[in-house]
Amino acid sequence: MMKAFMQIAVGLRPLPKDGKTLSAFLYWAGRGHILGQVAAAHKGEASGKLADILENARIRTAHDQRMLTFEAERISRALLGSGVQPILLKGAAYMALGLRAGQGRRVSDIDILVEEQELAEVETLLKKAGWQGEAATASDYDQDYYRQWMHELPPMRHKKRRTLIDVHHRLLPRTARLQPRHELMAARAKPIENNSLRTFDATDRFIHSAIHIFADGAFETPARSFMELYYLFDDLSADEEAGLVARAAEVNALRPVAGALWAVSHYFGEPKAHAVLRSMGVMGMSWSLRQTVRLWVRGGALKPLAGFLLYLRSHYLRMPLGMLAKHLIIKTFRRKRQAKEVGQAH
Amino acid sequence: MTAALGTLSRGEAVRALKSGEMRLHLGPFVTALKTSNRSVVDYFLDIYSDCPVSIGGGELADYYLNVGAPNLLRRFIRRQVLPDPGFHFPTLPLPDHMGPLALEMGMNLSAALQCFRFIMFHAGVVAKDGNAVMIAAHSGGGKSTLTAAMMEAGYRLLSDEFAVLRRDRNALMPYPRPVSLKNASVDVVRQMAGQDAMSTVLEGTPKGTIAYRRARASDINLMHEETVPKLLIFPKYDKDEKPEKRAVEPADAAMRLIAGSPNYQVVAGAAFDSTMTMMQGLKCFEISYGNTADSVALVEELFAEAAP
Repeated sequence: MMKAFMQIAVGLRPLPKDGKTLSAFLYWAGRGHILGQVAAAHKGEASGKLADILENARIRTAHDQRMLTFEAERISRALLGSGVQPILLKGAAYMALGLRAGQGRRVSDIDILVEEQELAEVETLLKKAGWQGEAATASDYDQDYYRQWMHELPPMRHKKRRTLIDVHHRLLPRTARLQPRHELMAARAKPIENNSLRTFDATDRFIHSAIHIFADGAFETPARSFMELYYLFDDLSADEEAGLVARAAEVNALRPVAGALWAVSHYFGEPKAHAVLRSMGVMGMSWSLRQTVRLWVRGGALKPLAGFLLYLRSHYLRMPLGMLAKHLIIKTFRRKRQAKEVGQAH
Repeated sequence: MTAALGTLSRGEAVRALKSGEMRLHLGPFVTALKTSNRSVVDYFLDIYSDCPVSIGGGELADYYLNVGAPNLLRRFIRRQVLPDPGFHFPTLPLPDHMGPLALEMGMNLSAALQCFRFIMFHAGVVAKDGNAVMIAAHSGGGKSTLTAAMMEAGYRLLSDEFAVLRRDRNALMPYPRPVSLKNASVDVVRQMAGQDAMSTVLEGTPKGTIAYRRARASDINLMHEETVPKLLIFPKYDKDEKPEKRAVEPADAAMRLIAGSPNYQVVAGAAFDSTMTMMQGLKCFEISYGNTADSVALVEELFAEAAP
């Protein structure tokens, strides 16, 4: 069922004809925040209520695209003259390049990568241009936590436009078990026309997406993530595909790339991804992780358990156990305090 | 195929609500509703009984709303209820018996934050002969009381919560859901509309005492009949206030209306164009008053000028 839905979502299969299945599909797509992408993949097929729903999603995502284009321009302007050429990551890059992975995509924040020694200057310039720290991460603990251990500055929000920017200086936390060689990827980044921003090349975009999904988060929006991998993989040329594994080895990201190839091959039945994965030999994705991800994606009674395991895994990957224990304890107590405060405010 | 909710047997309706196959067809929106909370079910079957619904789950929905316990524990111990419109929104769980409030909040959130086909403004809307009065929301202004009072004065209800403006022509769409009444206005409206028109009263909610005045069958029968906006009212209630009206500059009125729109920025260009077109045909007034009769008289007088 999930495979069929994922394939419908990227347009590999037509929208279901039967009302009940279509309704279930739209429910699933809505909850996964991918209706805009579904609408982009299925143009001109719809009438009646279905057309209304897809049109609604298109209007919504058109706004995200406008916002992102505008913000990218503002960031470029804020850094003008500094010589810093940030790399747009993820959704912002896909949209700037007009890739299928960006069409109809919901975006709430913009991620950029700069060199570590440029961080202070970038932060100062962005603050001058109106971005400021978020109240949610203003505490000393959060500030220290981000600056000492993370791969990004504490998120900044623009004081007027309320848009969010994450400034990264590496792809995974300093404490993460996996340390991809982002400097090698940055060295191959290409400028975007007409401004000072850059993006990774096609191969590195796929690799970075794989790192983000399989080595960082907890699969919060699996459909959206796997569709992104599918589109990025499908956009690779034959040469890029042939060089993918070697590049993944070079930038130290073999494991997440194996996971990503599994997802593309498993959910979208992409034979080329399967072939590349086979060529990696034993370097596959562990059986237990595959099963957990499948349970999580499929939903049902075991979904909460799978979600919990993936949450633990994401933290395990992010930092050493002692540090993790301390961090989780602080987060738990803070959550309790916040719940209390919310209660009192009402 | 739709049928009035009241024509279904209770068993059929409850089964559809439990399985999430209940579809409420109201104005331009279809809402899929899933709940097994007793207070939600009882309220819904009563107050929405004249509304068209379909069961079976085959009809597509604009919004999917679940109303239930926030977690397994709260289904059984110190039971709570929470609307889940499918996206993250900070809402406080309510005690189990406040289901009606959770449902109405959930329906408001769904439409306010997920509708982009129309431009939504936070206003009550009533109409006569195809011409509409918008009553802009302003905390303590008395939007809902005035909306309910206008219903008694022979106007039909389009919505208590949203002015739903089309993008392609200057018209407001009805979305006739119950009118939400707070504190003193509950009794005021009960006296006007009668006990049959009212839901059970919820005491001690985060918003105070709450009850709902149902949309009438006549409002629901006209739920596809759009109207032309003619008059925009900014109400101001104060118990010692003399009835008074002041014209509002269209530009000011537009800015105040836009400030209360959940989706104006997202709809963008079309929202600007449609709003400007609407403003050209609109008379805008602030009114202050100390009782309901005065407010109705003021609106009727202004409506007669705005839509002769």
